[in-house]
Amino acid sequence: MTVVAISVNSMNKFYGGFHALKDINLEVARGEKVVICGPSGSGKSTLIRCFNRLEQHQSGSIEVMGTKLDDNVDHIDEIRREAGMVFQNFNLFPHMTILENCTLAPILVRKKSRQEAEKTAMQYLERVKIPDQAAKYPGQLSGGQQQRVAIARALCMAPEIMLFDEPTSALDPEMISEVLDVMIGLAHEGMTMVCVTHEMGFARQVADRVIFMAEGSIVEEAPPAEFFDSPKNERTRAFIGQVLGH
Amino acid sequence: MKIDPGGSDRRARVRISREEGSPVLSLVKNKHSRDIALQAVFVGGLAMMVIIFAITGKVNLEAQGLTSGFGFLEQSTGWRISFSLIEYSTSSPYWKAILVGLLNSLFLGAIALPLATVIGVAVGVMRTSGNGMAELLGTIFVEIFRNIPLILQLFFWYAILLSLPSPRDAEQLIGGIALTGRGIYLPGLNVTGESVFFAALALLIGLALTLWITNARRWRNLPLQTARRSRHLIWGVAAALAVICMGIGRIPDTTLLSIPVQKGLNIREGVRVSPELMACVIAIGIYGAAYIAEIVRAGFNAIPKGQGEAGYALGLSNWQIFSRIRLPLAVRIVMPTLINQYVWLFKATTIGIAVSFTDFFMVISTAINQSGQTLELIAILMGGFLIINYSIAWVLNRVNDAIKLKGTQLRI
Amino acid sequence: MTVTVIPQDIFLGRIRRHYFSNWANTTVSVAFTVVSVWILWNLIEWAFFDAVFEPDQRQQCEAATGACWSVVTTRWRIVLFGLYPFEEQWRSALACLVMLVVAILSCVPFFWNAKRLPVLWLAGFVTFYVLMRGGVFGLTPVFEQKWGGLSLTIFIFAAVSLLGMPLSIVFALLRRSELPWISRTMALVIDTIRSLPLLSIMFTFAIVMPFVLPGWAIGDKLYRVIVGYALFFACYQAEIIRGGMQALPVGQEEAAKALGMSYWHRIGYIILPQAFRNALPPTINQFVITFKETSLVTIIGFFDVMASGRAASGTAEWSFAVIEMYVFVALIFFVFVFSLSRYGAYLEHRLDVGSR
Repeated sequence: MTVVAISVNSMNKFYGGFHALKDINLEVARGEKVVICGPSGSGKSTLIRCFNRLEQHQSGSIEVMGTKLDDNVDHIDEIRREAGMVFQNFNLFPHMTILENCTLAPILVRKKSRQEAEKTAMQYLERVKIPDQAAKYPGQLSGGQQQRVAIARALCMAPEIMLFDEPTSALDPEMISEVLDVMIGLAHEGMTMVCVTHEMGFARQVADRVIFMAEGSIVEEAPPAEFFDSPKNERTRAFIGQVLGH
Repeated sequence: MKIDPGGSDRRARVRISREEGSPVLSLVKNKHSRDIALQAVFVGGLAMMVIIFAITGKVNLEAQGLTSGFGFLEQSTGWRISFSLIEYSTSSPYWKAILVGLLNSLFLGAIALPLATVIGVAVGVMRTSGNGMAELLGTIFVEIFRNIPLILQLFFWYAILLSLPSPRDAEQLIGGIALTGRGIYLPGLNVTGESVFFAALALLIGLALTLWITNARRWRNLPLQTARRSRHLIWGVAAALAVICMGIGRIPDTTLLSIPVQKGLNIREGVRVSPELMACVIAIGIYGAAYIAEIVRAGFNAIPKGQGEAGYALGLSNWQIFSRIRLPLAVRIVMPTLINQYVWLFKATTIGIAVSFTDFFMVISTAINQSGQTLELIAILMGGFLIINYSIAWVLNRVNDAIKLKGTQLRI
Repeated sequence: MTVTVIPQDIFLGRIRRHYFSNWANTTVSVAFTVVSVWILWNLIEWAFFDAVFEPDQRQQCEAATGACWSVVTTRWRIVLFGLYPFEEQWRSALACLVMLVVAILSCVPFFWNAKRLPVLWLAGFVTFYVLMRGGVFGLTPVFEQKWGGLSLTIFIFAAVSLLGMPLSIVFALLRRSELPWISRTMALVIDTIRSLPLLSIMFTFAIVMPFVLPGWAIGDKLYRVIVGYALFFACYQAEIIRGGMQALPVGQEEAAKALGMSYWHRIGYIILPQAFRNALPPTINQFVITFKETSLVTIIGFFDVMASGRAASGTAEWSFAVIEMYVFVALIFFVFVFSLSRYGAYLEHRLDVGSR
């Protein structure tokens, strides 16, 4: 049984000539919740998008759930099945109902029957507390509701890992907490989570480890208590001061 | 509902045994090699198709005893061309005939496209003017001429032009202008075609230079006096050049002005615009105008109301707001669409063959009929159109790039 | 200075605002109205009051000053059916009706489905072909050479659409491929074909292609021209679809990838349905233009509705009434094209409203 969910070794990524990710070394254990934070342009979104091959790394290795992430299409498909992703802009499919959004991938990719997929979808929609919206279209829901549907859609694939790319950054303040509640619930059930977020309260409450990135490298990583109360690096301190200062 | 984290054990074990598969399989599954293979198959497939065409073509040509190659361009054609801007006779070689056709197409385009623009902009402005009658008439114009095929409109205008009275019975208007079934007779100058061309070129270059000096960013910092003086200078030089050209091209032993005069069954002197050319100009001009009117209307409608409101708030008059704010913005908005429209309109000049106007396409198809050198001539046809269309698009794209709104933070 | 307040909502108020709100407007309105009324009056006089309507009234026509609609009432069969044998013309009429029904049904949202629409069009087209061609079900065979008039125009239009649409989807997908050799080659092919006049492409396929095609692929001239036109259509439509795809937020495809969906699943379920929704108004416009441009086959020598009209009025006895025939054919085109473009405008309005 693999204990390590994600293993990154000496990973580098370039955008043409620009060195976006510099020599990243990281290990995420199963069941661990990792929060990645940092100023914009630090490469944190790029990093987690490399985990499911939405971005391609040039050197070093990435292993997700024991599968090596390389050019082998079977490996890429396997990893995408096992890692669910929630985007900043929700990216729900606007021409399908909420229920169809959630059942599409299980039917096509996991080859479930429509009945089975719908049953699972309704269970997850209840989990995120919007079962009554199943027949509506994404455009008819509020931002917070849409993001919760996005989480349910990812969960319907029964992933091993959940990747969150700034899930609350596009939401109005009053909707942030409803999405965070769902994420906290997930965390308490033992899901392996990697979150890129600015929500430090969430990090303190749920994270096993907080990672600070700047200019493409990992600057500091520590458990939240240590990270927030006694950061070792100057930059980390400056960042925390800025974020928590208001 | 609990998520099941233990289920992956089974999957992990299965995965390990699959990893030891064959190297061929790993190549097939490799995204990189798949990409290369797909591209090779695609390009290879296309290349094979082209090769099959080439081989079949060669075999067929040999079977018919025709030589391939462009040598036939030097042979004389033996057939007449009704309308020509340069000297042409039945003994002229093929390449000259093709040149005549090309010049005719360009000539038709040079008249019809500006005509379409002028009418189109006028109708477009009518449709967005706010005056109910003007809008109604504009809409009727656009709907009628957009919904009928160009070739039908061409036949229609041709039929009307042919039904004008014969030269003997036609009435002459001022300046000797006569509208007859054999053509429109206009007063003209007794100069050679080439000199008119060069004179027009001189004037055009003068115009282009003037516009450039007025509008280009490079000359923005020129003091007003210098700019004005250089404009006058350019115009003066251009006009002088034009007059000199015409002077050089003056046909000896003739009067300068040539006025159409009725003599017997015919009209002598003057410049005759054949009904074929006239029909093409009118048809393409009006059809193009209908499309350009729609484009212009969309452009004006796309201008946010706030722009006009800001103008009113500043105290500008209606005309100033139209000419200095709305019109320039509309031009910038519609430029890309207009470029497409112009390229398309130029292609529409091929319609000339329907009324036997010897444009580029008609000359090529006649040449194919007469000489049998099908493949070479089709290549020339396609090459010619490609070059012309790319040139038009390139020039207009340069203009578009020069005038387009800059920056990414625009909030209008 | 007093400001005249023009009442907004009363009918007279509206007329005043649109037509007579100031001196300039008033002058323009009056001038245009006078000119239009004069033109309209002369037109109506020519077309109705002084016109001759009954068939076979040639002498009366020559004597009259108005329009000679007799040419239409006498020779309308040629315009609609071409040289189709007289006894079988009901088949031609029925075939056209079938295609009309198919076109109307395509506008019903029930058929807006990737499975139903192609089936509908295929069924309609096959029915059309069987009715026109005959040879089965006890119908006497009538070969393509005898097809003409409106039925030929509709046949060419339907064939080009049926062949061109799937081709355009393939072209669009190839054009936006991530693989550089494929997308660049496709870009070159599409741009080249789009730069060429449609007439020259039809001409090439009709006259030149037999030279370079292996014997089995040559086929009938009509079908070659249809293939050429379909290629042209596909290139224009591919760019329209690509525009629709580009208007999609990039996150849509990313979300589909993150869910583990394969390339074909992504294209079929997420990208294409949304791209088509975006590209619907320009697509309808493309269909309108395609229908109009079928008239170009006249030059290649086919007897479409326009050539048939010219042939019908081109005989010695009716040659003076050519213009009336042109008006008739123009009206046929106008009805089809205008309805289609109105429908396109309606769709555009509906989609706009829906997305707000």
